[in-house]
Amino acid sequence: MRESDFEQVRVQAWQEFDQLVTAVEKRQTPPGSHELPRRFREVCADLALATHRMYRGATVDRLNALVIRGYKLLYRRRRHAAEGLVRFVADTFPAAVRADARLFWLCNGVFWLPLFLMLGMAWIELDWVQAILGPQGMASMEQMYGKDSDSLAAMRDEFGSNFAMFGHYIRNNIGIDFKIFASGIVAGLGTMFYLIYNGLAIGAAAGYVSYAGNPTSFWTFVVGHSSFELIGMVISGMAGMKLGLAVLRPGRMTRSKAIGEAAKGALPLILGAAGMTAIAAVIEGFWSAQDFPHAVKYVFGGTMWALHFAYFGLLGRRAG
Amino acid sequence: MSGDVERKLDTLQAIELAEGVEVRLRIAGPLLRGGALLLDVVIQGVAVSLLSLLVGLAVGWVAGGAMGWGFVQLLWFVSSWWYPVFFEAGKWGATPGKKAFGLRVVQVSGSPITVGQSILRNFLRVADGMPFMIGYGVAGLIPTFGIGLVTMLATSRFQRLGDLAARTVVIYDRVASEPLAPVPPALESVPPGVALRPEEIRAVGAYRDRAGLWSEGRRVEIGDHARELTGATGAAGVSRLMGMARWLQERK
Repeated sequence: MRESDFEQVRVQAWQEFDQLVTAVEKRQTPPGSHELPRRFREVCADLALATHRMYRGATVDRLNALVIRGYKLLYRRRRHAAEGLVRFVADTFPAAVRADARLFWLCNGVFWLPLFLMLGMAWIELDWVQAILGPQGMASMEQMYGKDSDSLAAMRDEFGSNFAMFGHYIRNNIGIDFKIFASGIVAGLGTMFYLIYNGLAIGAAAGYVSYAGNPTSFWTFVVGHSSFELIGMVISGMAGMKLGLAVLRPGRMTRSKAIGEAAKGALPLILGAAGMTAIAAVIEGFWSAQDFPHAVKYVFGGTMWALHFAYFGLLGRRAG
Repeated sequence: MSGDVERKLDTLQAIELAEGVEVRLRIAGPLLRGGALLLDVVIQGVAVSLLSLLVGLAVGWVAGGAMGWGFVQLLWFVSSWWYPVFFEAGKWGATPGKKAFGLRVVQVSGSPITVGQSILRNFLRVADGMPFMIGYGVAGLIPTFGIGLVTMLATSRFQRLGDLAARTVVIYDRVASEPLAPVPPALESVPPGVALRPEEIRAVGAYRDRAGLWSEGRRVEIGDHARELTGATGAAGVSRLMGMARWLQERK
């Protein structure tokens, strides 16, 4: 068949397909839109033929463009958000954490060791803690948890300041999680840096307040949201280290392929971590600074820690 | 002609679809993507500033300044992390900046990207943005996109780290077709002396289709490059080439 004959026979089908695609792209449902898949396959076959028979560039380009547009429409996905969320919380996320248990413990070590080191150092050698916090850090700790500063509840007296702090924690803390994750692609160095740095800083703050400030006001404030926030940080560290390890040790894949595989595995981790940190921000904004009895706060915080152990210990187990 | 080097240099990438047919996607380079990024930054900046002003002030008026400040924080968070994720996973497959530049993000396989891929490629922008320049005031750390640029230039499909991790590429949404101005067909059809490869047949066809755009001298100049095929130079070469184009079009 000559090129011109081919075009003459098929051109009407192409025009119809073009009109159909244009209409669907504009979110209309034209008559015959159920025929889109069949017409798409026909145009695909035409493109294959035209390429095989080495027809003119213009014909091939026209079909090429039509196929791309049709493909884009047909392969769009519908999402079932609610069902996906339940499955993610109940299974996908804890399973992803369990699947990399060794990485989980490694990141825990990298974070908690510096934290407890600094906490202990407050009693042995306060200079270390002071060096980490710096004069500004010490001043702000004094202001918030000093021996004779106002209670946190009093500081949040202005209406809406709870919400203001919530917004601040969302932006700041989840941002930190995402940075811990992303910087892992530099051979894991960025992740390691952020984990150690945060461990040192948090440990130094806690140590300094316990030694020189008013520990009760500090611990009653942090106990409620600490489980969500700190475990969330460790898990975003896992996600980052997955990327870093793929760069360092791609195994039998090329590095870019290994990164792609690792990123796929890291996605539930970073999303779960972000979710946990968002919950932490809610608690930190609206609960932690409230003027409740200390016992209530400790019991709440302890329950949250226990729930975390139960969640990661019991859910997401695979059969066998 | 179609050596390994040419294939690596070519920004037209052939991708095979599940339908068993190959489509060709035109991969977008760093310059255009940089422009789209700058436009996005401007759009985000203006949108967040306006919303902050309106919503922040309105909320602040009704519920106190602290409440308004909280909203502004949330706005910044949503804008800096979720704006590109939202638009690229949506129907456009592109941020407003990319859309304005005629770009679109697709999977390496050519199909639209998923939410997960959109999250991966956009969160990793932090890593691509390194090293950071230390700025002043509001612009604390300015990303230079050094790593992103180097990785784009080192990969054959202009992928930055986020693209590699999410397995995505940025393409031209619609490749503008080349201007056509065919000249009247040659009087006699000339069979080429040797069997031609597909891309050579394509080249001869394109020569005929576009010759109307060129002056006589330019036709001769280009036609002379095919003198091994036509066995003639100058006007004679051009008319032989046109004859072959006619023969190729008329063959069964």
